[in-house]
Amino acid sequence: MISKEEEKDLQQPQILSIDDDYSIIRQFVDGDKSAFQILVKRHKEKVRNIIFITMNNSALVDDIAQDVFITVFRNLKHFRFESQFTTWLYRITVNRCKDYLRKMNVRKIFSPIEEGSEVSEYSSPVENNDISRIVMNAISKLPVKLRMPLILKDIEGFSYQEISESLKCEMGTVKSRIFRGREKLKEILQPLEKELMN
Amino acid sequence: MKKNLQNMEWLSAYLDDELSQSEKVEVEKLLATSLELQKKLEDLKKVKQLGNRVKRVPESPFFETRLMAAIEGQKNETSGIKRWIPAAALAVVTIIIMIVLKFNPGILDKMWEDQKVAIAGFYKENLQPVLLAANLTNEDVFNFAFNNELPLDNTRQQYLLLGYDDSGKEFFEIRSSHQRVERESYNEFISAMNLDVEQKQIVDSIIGSYSKALESQVLVNENNTIAINPNLWNLRKAIFADLLVASEKLNKVKFDRIVPAGITNAEKVIVVNTLEKLKNTSGDQYIFVTPDSIFSESYQFDFKLYEKEMRELEKQIQLNEEKVEQFTLNMRYDSTYKYLTAAHNEHSFRIVVDSNICRVDLPVPEVPEIPIPGMATINPLVEQATNNIHFYAYKIPKIEKSNTEIKIEYYNDDSVYSYVVDYNMLNMDSLAEAHSGVDLYNLDKFKPVKPFDDTMLIKYQFDRDYYHRYYSDDEFKKQMEELQKELQQMSEELNKQKIRVKSEVTKSPKK
Repeated sequence: MISKEEEKDLQQPQILSIDDDYSIIRQFVDGDKSAFQILVKRHKEKVRNIIFITMNNSALVDDIAQDVFITVFRNLKHFRFESQFTTWLYRITVNRCKDYLRKMNVRKIFSPIEEGSEVSEYSSPVENNDISRIVMNAISKLPVKLRMPLILKDIEGFSYQEISESLKCEMGTVKSRIFRGREKLKEILQPLEKELMN
Repeated sequence: MKKNLQNMEWLSAYLDDELSQSEKVEVEKLLATSLELQKKLEDLKKVKQLGNRVKRVPESPFFETRLMAAIEGQKNETSGIKRWIPAAALAVVTIIIMIVLKFNPGILDKMWEDQKVAIAGFYKENLQPVLLAANLTNEDVFNFAFNNELPLDNTRQQYLLLGYDDSGKEFFEIRSSHQRVERESYNEFISAMNLDVEQKQIVDSIIGSYSKALESQVLVNENNTIAINPNLWNLRKAIFADLLVASEKLNKVKFDRIVPAGITNAEKVIVVNTLEKLKNTSGDQYIFVTPDSIFSESYQFDFKLYEKEMRELEKQIQLNEEKVEQFTLNMRYDSTYKYLTAAHNEHSFRIVVDSNICRVDLPVPEVPEIPIPGMATINPLVEQATNNIHFYAYKIPKIEKSNTEIKIEYYNDDSVYSYVVDYNMLNMDSLAEAHSGVDLYNLDKFKPVKPFDDTMLIKYQFDRDYYHRYYSDDEFKKQMEELQKELQQMSEELNKQKIRVKSEVTKSPKK
C-alpha cells in the first residue's frame, strides 16, 4: 500500500517539465532556433488562456500572446535557470496583460462615451445562458490585483507558490487576494446566485 | 475581526489544499464547531467551482506561423545603435537650430521677410499699365464712373468690375465681356442732358483729365500678376461726383429733371474735399493678385518714365518702319533668251518689309515673241554641228557561239592598229536599252563593261557605207521574217501554257 506522501513523490510531473523546458532552452541558447518553436507549442495554449480570461476579449489574445513570446525570444538567452521557465513565462504574460489593461483604461478616458454602450450583462439571465461568458464578465470586473491570482488559481490551477512567483508577491498576499477575489466574485454574481451556484 | 478574517483566508486556502498540516488541523477543528464557517466553506467551494465552467480560448492554428513571421520581421528591422540614428540626427539638428535661434533671434523673421520680398519682387517685375493698352475712351471712363466697369484690354474681352458688399466693403471682379451688357451710356447722358458741342467738350475734358490718372491704376505683367491700386475706388467716386457737379452747372434744368434731389452745397463740399484728398493721396499701395497669393505691397509705378519709354519706343518703331519702307532689294538675273532686248535683260523686284508684312512687287512680265526659224536656216547649223561628230559603222559579223571576239583594225596617220574586242564585253543591246535614244553611230560613247587600258581610247574608224549596206541587204529582210516566225511560235507556246495552267487550277482538289 503506497502512502499519500509516496504517491506525491512518484508523480513529480513538474520536475519532468522543468527538465524538459531547461533542455529545450539550452538547445535554443546553443543556436537551435527550432527549439523555440517547441517551447511555444508547449506553452502557448496556457498563455493564451490566461490572456483570454484576464482581458475578457478574444480579439486581443493572439496579439498579446505574440508580444509575450517575442519578449521570451529576445530574452531567453539571458535565462538563468534559477526558476521554472513557466514561472518566468507567466510573469511576462501577467505583466503584458497589465500593460494592455492600463492602455485600455487610458483610452477609455479619452474616448467619447457612446450611448447604449453600457449594457447590463445580467439584466436578462434567461436569454444569456452562457455561464462561461457570465463568469468571465464577472471576473473582468474584479480589480487586477484580485483578478490575476484568482484566474491563476481557480481556472489555471496554479499552486500558491507558483502564483507567488509569477506575480512576484508574498504567499500570504496570494492567499489573502484569492480569498478576497472569491468573495468579490460572489458579490458580483449575487443577482444570479440561484442560476449559477445551484 | 482580524482573527475572523484570517480564519476566512485560511478557509479559502484549506479549500485549495495550501495549508500546512497544523493549520489544516486547526481549520478542521473550527469547522467542526461553527456552522457559519461550514456555510462559508460551502460558498467558497461554489465560487471556486465556477472556474471549471469557464470555457477555454479556442486554439489558433496559425499562431506559431504568425509569431515566427513577426520574429523574423523584427530581426530584419534596424537594431541597436542604428535604430537611434534618426532620433540622434533629429536631436542634433534641433540643438543646432536652438543655438542659431539663441544667438540670432530675428533670423527666422529675416528669412521670412527676405523670402517675402523675393516673391513680391518676382511678381512686381515689369508691371505695365493695362488700361493704357486698353485705350480708354470717354465712354469707358463714363461707364466706369456710373457702372463701375473698366475694360482691361483693347478688344474689350475682359472687364474689371468694382463693387461694394453688404457691409460697404469694396471688392473687385474680373469678368469676361459676355457677362456684360453693352451700353452707350455716355452718348445717352449727353443727349439726355441736351448738351451742345461746346458743353460736350467740357465734359470730354473732365473725363479726359481722369483718363490719364486711371491708366496707372491697374498693372499687369507676364507673371500673371494683376496689381490694382485701391485708389481706383476713390477715382471712380471723384469722376462720378465731378461729372454730376459739372452737369448741374451746364444744364441745371435738365439736371434737376434727371436728379430731382439735386446736389446740396454740403455735398459739393464733400466732392471738393474728395477731389482734394485724391490729389494728395500718394496711391503707391497696390493689391497684388498673383497665381498663388494675394498681398498688399507698396509699389511706385513711374508713369512718366513709362510714358517716356513708350514714346521712345514708338519713335523707334516709326523710324524702323521708315527704314523698312526705303529698303529695296534689287535682284538681277541673266536671261538666256537670245532674242530678248537689252531692256528686258535686267529686272528688279521691289520688296517692302513692314512690321507685319513682307511685300514683293513684281514688274508685269513681258513675254517676248521668239521668231521660230525655218528648217532651211536650221539645216546649215545642223550640218555644221554634225561635222564635229565622227560617225562610225562596223559590220558585226555573224557570231558563232564559240567565237565571241571581234577583230577591229583602225588607221591612225600612216600606221595600222588592230585590236581584238570581246563581243560579250561590249553588250550592245543592254547599252542601247539603258540609254534609249542613244546614237548608235557614235560608238565613242559606249563604254565596255570591263575598263580598257589607255590604248583603247583611240577612235575607231568604221566603214560607214558598209553599215548602210548591211541594213539594206536582203539578208535583213530574211532575218526579220525568221524573227516573226519565232515570235509567232513563242506566242503559241505561251497560249498553250496558259491553258494548261488554267486546267491545272480547275483540277485542284476541293477541301
